[in-house]
Amino acid sequence: SEVPRPLGVPLAKASLYQPRAGENSWTCLDGSRTIPFSHINDDYCDCADGSDEPGTAACPQGQFHCVNKGHQPVNIPSSQVQDGICDCCDGSDESETVGCPNTCLELGAAAAVQRRNAAELHKRGAERRQEMITRGKQMRAEREARRLELDQRRKEQELLRAEKEQLKQTAEALEAEAIEIFKEQQREVDADTAQAEREPQQMRQEATLTFVRYDTNKDGFVEVTELMVDMNLDRDRNGVVTVEEAKYFLDERERVDLDAFVTLAWPRIKSLQMLAEGLFQPPQPEEVAQQPEVTTESIQPTPPKLSEEQAELAGDDDIEADEEGEEDQYDDEEPDVGVGEASPDAEEATPPNYDPETQRLIQQANEARNALEEVERSLREIQQEVNEIDDQNNKGYGLTEEWAVHDGQCYNFEDREYVYTLCPFDRASQKSRSGGPETTLGRWDKWSGEPKQYSQQKYTNGAACWNGPNRSAIINISCALEPKITAVSEPNRCEYYFEFETPAACDSEAFQSESENLHDEL
Amino acid sequence: VDPGNFKTCEQSSFCRRSRKIQGSGSKYALIPGTLNTYADSLTADLVNKENHHQFAFKLEALVGSTFRLQIDEKQPLRPRYRVEHALKGPTQAGRIRVQRETDGEIVITSEKNKAVIHGDPFRIDFFENDVLVVSVNAKNWLYFEHLRQKAQEPTSHPAENENQQEQDAAVETPKAADTIDDPGAWEENFKSHHDSKPYGPEAVALDFSFPAAKVLFGIPEHADSFILKSTSGTDPYRLYNLDVFEYVVDSKMALYGSVPVIYGHGAQRTAGVYWQNAAETWVDIQTSETNVVSSLVNFVSGSQKTPPPAAHFMSESGIVDAFIMLGPKPMDTFKQYAALTGTHELPQLFALAYHQSRWNYNDERDVTSVSAKFDEYNIPMDTMWLDIEHTDGKRYFTWDKFKFPHPLAMIKNLTELGRHLVVIVDPHIKRDNNYFFHRDCTDRGYYVKTREGNDYEGWCWPGAASYPDFFNPVVREYYASQYALDKFQTVTADVMLWNDMNEPSVFNGPEITAPKDLIHYGNWEHRDVHNLYGHMHLMGSFAGLQQRDPNQRPFILTRAHFAGSQRYAAIWTGDNFADWSHLQHSVKMCLTEAVAGFSFCGADVGAFFGNPDTELLERWYQTGAFLPFFRAHAHIDTKRREPWLFPERTRQVIQNAVIKRYSYLPLWYTAFYELELTGEPVIRPLLAQYPLDKEAFGVDNQLLVQDRLLVRPVMQQGVSKVDVYFPAIDDKKNGDWWYDVDTYQRQERSGYVSVPVDDFKIPVWQRGGSIVPKKERQRRASTLMLHDPYTLIICLDRQGKASGSLYLDDEKSYAYRQGQRIHVNYEFAHDQLVNSFVGKPKYKTLAWIERIVIAGLEKVPSSASITVNGVSQQLEVLHHDNTVVVRKPGVKMDVDFAIKLNFA
Repeated sequence: SEVPRPLGVPLAKASLYQPRAGENSWTCLDGSRTIPFSHINDDYCDCADGSDEPGTAACPQGQFHCVNKGHQPVNIPSSQVQDGICDCCDGSDESETVGCPNTCLELGAAAAVQRRNAAELHKRGAERRQEMITRGKQMRAEREARRLELDQRRKEQELLRAEKEQLKQTAEALEAEAIEIFKEQQREVDADTAQAEREPQQMRQEATLTFVRYDTNKDGFVEVTELMVDMNLDRDRNGVVTVEEAKYFLDERERVDLDAFVTLAWPRIKSLQMLAEGLFQPPQPEEVAQQPEVTTESIQPTPPKLSEEQAELAGDDDIEADEEGEEDQYDDEEPDVGVGEASPDAEEATPPNYDPETQRLIQQANEARNALEEVERSLREIQQEVNEIDDQNNKGYGLTEEWAVHDGQCYNFEDREYVYTLCPFDRASQKSRSGGPETTLGRWDKWSGEPKQYSQQKYTNGAACWNGPNRSAIINISCALEPKITAVSEPNRCEYYFEFETPAACDSEAFQSESENLHDEL
Repeated sequence: VDPGNFKTCEQSSFCRRSRKIQGSGSKYALIPGTLNTYADSLTADLVNKENHHQFAFKLEALVGSTFRLQIDEKQPLRPRYRVEHALKGPTQAGRIRVQRETDGEIVITSEKNKAVIHGDPFRIDFFENDVLVVSVNAKNWLYFEHLRQKAQEPTSHPAENENQQEQDAAVETPKAADTIDDPGAWEENFKSHHDSKPYGPEAVALDFSFPAAKVLFGIPEHADSFILKSTSGTDPYRLYNLDVFEYVVDSKMALYGSVPVIYGHGAQRTAGVYWQNAAETWVDIQTSETNVVSSLVNFVSGSQKTPPPAAHFMSESGIVDAFIMLGPKPMDTFKQYAALTGTHELPQLFALAYHQSRWNYNDERDVTSVSAKFDEYNIPMDTMWLDIEHTDGKRYFTWDKFKFPHPLAMIKNLTELGRHLVVIVDPHIKRDNNYFFHRDCTDRGYYVKTREGNDYEGWCWPGAASYPDFFNPVVREYYASQYALDKFQTVTADVMLWNDMNEPSVFNGPEITAPKDLIHYGNWEHRDVHNLYGHMHLMGSFAGLQQRDPNQRPFILTRAHFAGSQRYAAIWTGDNFADWSHLQHSVKMCLTEAVAGFSFCGADVGAFFGNPDTELLERWYQTGAFLPFFRAHAHIDTKRREPWLFPERTRQVIQNAVIKRYSYLPLWYTAFYELELTGEPVIRPLLAQYPLDKEAFGVDNQLLVQDRLLVRPVMQQGVSKVDVYFPAIDDKKNGDWWYDVDTYQRQERSGYVSVPVDDFKIPVWQRGGSIVPKKERQRRASTLMLHDPYTLIICLDRQGKASGSLYLDDEKSYAYRQGQRIHVNYEFAHDQLVNSFVGKPKYKTLAWIERIVIAGLEKVPSSASITVNGVSQQLEVLHHDNTVVVRKPGVKMDVDFAIKLNFA
């Protein structure tokens, strides 16, 4: 049986629309006035709150209740009552002359089908969602396990670091001590070596100069024919240096290189040169003047060598040593090529000059330093990976981790002009279908759904617009069986809206409770 | 706006030349013995005594205290352009009587008006009831450049030489005095644009003094004060229809419309001059306040007399064709102007309701969802608008088939809710041989031509575009036929029009419009007709809508306009900017337009450019709700601006303003009917109703709706009170009573009053002595209000009386012209309200009176009784703070009744 009440009044409020006992009066629901009961729905507004005209359009703030039996009851503004448009599916908001059909049963049936379909979709989607939850939890567990593992490794590496630090300090102490001792010894040896080397070096320089002078074709060899032009070598003074005479000086060879020249030829040639020079007394003072210069030059390189040795002993890196050596070569090249050649020998000799024990200690110190560096790099890598895991944990993958599977994935949507890409938790972008660069529409910012947080995502700080702020994108999310972008729009210039479907949004329990709420109203 | 894109007077050759005459004065004289008189007119010859060129002069008397003055060359080399289609029809001749005629002076009378023609120097004084109100050429600034041959032109051909000699003889022109030395006389360059000026100098100029006036107003369209300012030391006001981007306020620069009508007003008299010329026109204004030289002369001579306000019209070509309207009151003068150029037709009601627009709603779903959202938030809305993006690549009469694949379904979704759609159609036509419209225009020669005879090609939204020559009636007929539903198959008969960019806008043209040496129908240059182009475009559109559905009243919104365009369209103030000064100028500009025939005026609510903050947007809706055309509109690059996108409080303020607008729709509708009937503007400056109050002359931040409402919108940032000027009805500071329409609190004294306001407050008062009809039921759209009942708001004057009118019809069709209407007057006197019909009430309506609200009663009645057809019935009376309400009279609108208040 139908509870009698004025048109437009919901059942729940029927008791409020009864005349006062014994009178035919009624009080506005806001208590502001008392009017005859017959004035309810008489198409004149008497109450400021509109409560006396629930079934007409007379009051500006009124509400009309559509019973909509067979479908959902709904309240509509009273401004939509008697306007010729059928707003209630039962047609109760319009007079019979308007002829609204009662479509509640059909709409109710269609809505039921829709609800069943939606429920089925949510159910099946929830199964997919459960898989995503499982996968997400697994991914989280993996991240946690990885994090624990990393923490463990970090502890190990930190212990190892302490150990390596200690070893390094010990090795470096020994290294420093050994180098110091070596330096003392080297200073004594250097003094002796300098004295000992002076004479042979001087002779070698003279020989080299002569060799270069004789090697007129610059092929690195002195030949018989090249000696034959030096009249100083005419031992029988017959005005011609014969082949035999020349071969005498070359130890009966056709030609000799620098080394052979210095050891075999030069001693024989030098005596004749000295005789010749004695014959020409006037230029001798000049030659003597040059000699001291050469001597001075041969002495000067020695301090740089010592510096190099000290640098090496001090543990400086090799680059500096190389630079020093290069400088040395450069200086020597100008006056005498021979001196340039001597320099590499000196340089090569420097490292081996460490006694074997000192070398062993230096090697140990280097190994200790490398070992420590290796551990520290390992720690940095561990920390970086830990940070990445923490970032992922903070991205908001949902209370049950159902959104985690989307991180690292990208989804595309094509419309007539553009291909849109959404990489959840990373970025949204746009590219013209005809090619061209990708334009970032926004980078992951936060979940922004209200009241349901996980119904909307926001991406901000995209590429700058030509005349305004940076681009941004809003992602509206709904339930479906497969992840997919279904639409992209730009309602405001440079503000983009994506419609994204995914099983992750199919919360079957929440949907069920919402449906039950609707059912309660029914 | 970039001022460098637009000329100054100094950069305009004819303006320089015409203005120069102000320094020397001209010497024109009536030639004795040439006078001819007729029943309604007289003619005579004039001569320029400096170059001896002769002119024909004609003065006609018209019905309604109006004279028409025409001056043309007596024997021009070729015809000079005469404006067509601006007047609503042939003028109605009055009768004249020659009272006295001497060689020096001719006196004629017509009705109670008199014209005195002084022969040498030439001057005409116009008197209304023996008071001098307009003096023509009092300053001797008449300047008429006769047509001439280019002097430097080589003529080796004997025949041509003979013609030259004949022409010289014909004009009797000594060569020496005939030369115009201004460098722009025969060709002119502006920036990179060249004007070939094949006919050379052809300017016309004339001054009009208003001896009985204190102030001048009119000549829209300018973003300036209602009262015209002196142009001494500045450029003249310019009338040259232009596409101005982000226009500047407080400026004399030309904007989108040109209506060359000016009024002079003083406490005793009002008069007007309509300068009928469609060429570029500059208007110099002289007012006593800032005329330094004049003040100095008076000081030296000891005289206290100041020269009267004067206007100097200077046009680039054409003839002198001036209508002198003698008032004597402001409303008389406005009606005299309306008698010449016509009025708006009564619009359909939806056009007076709220319009929602944006460049551009993105697609069909966007349109439908915005419409649905208005219902969700319970905000009334009548019309959705679509800008150029709805078309297929800016090809008008087409749709973008991707964004709007089913326009008929979209339209149906709107009309089922009682709503309408307006679409844009602009006059620039995309040059695309696959576009039917372009192909037709090309094949049939419908485009405006270059001097070489080619279709003129300019740039606008479609890219390369050409412009139909709407001066050709065949082109207008073709254009009109495109609106037929068998051609424009994707719209219905309810879809209405927006004609934009019809100055016309040419992005690469001089001053962003068409070159002046283009050729139109009849071989007229664009120079002659520029300001009429938009008007002719409108004529084509209007004819199209009428042909489409002869029974339905068309609605068109236009940007470009000229005198007479009000017969075809509503206007808006163009591309405004989101700041407070542009909001303030909405009112000033629309008041100026209203007195020039365009009551149906509004401004883009929220502003076209820029993003308003919430306070500015709220106040803009409140102001827009009290301008006749009420539309929200915005540029494509602005943020979305629908009311629900703002905080809830702002949305409520907007909703409140819109609902208030809808409640007053019966008043707006009645006012537009009475405009068509009488020519009286719908919105009015204070001086229109209060001509004696000198202090009211310059008030332009307030407006009257007819003589019933006084509106003073809040248009300043952050204010908690506004100063309102209550006008005096006489020169002794006696004022009307005014009742606050929200509280019915009464304001009894005249002068400035400080009124407190909050966010929701729109300061509006109803005049004591007036009755205002309202519909207080809220609906989705105004079309759904058709059968809703009325409330009559009665505000009593000092004598306890009030009166007012109401008009009803079907709100859509022309049936009202066959008598299907109700026009009723209500009168309250001696504690009784009675109605009386103007003619017979022949419209069948279901509407009734649901409530009568009476403010200003000294005693509270105990009850009321209504008598219908001799039968009386008791009615309940309710007493509120400041009003008495008669409950539910229930009488139908087409029934005679009397309601009497009973006192215990």
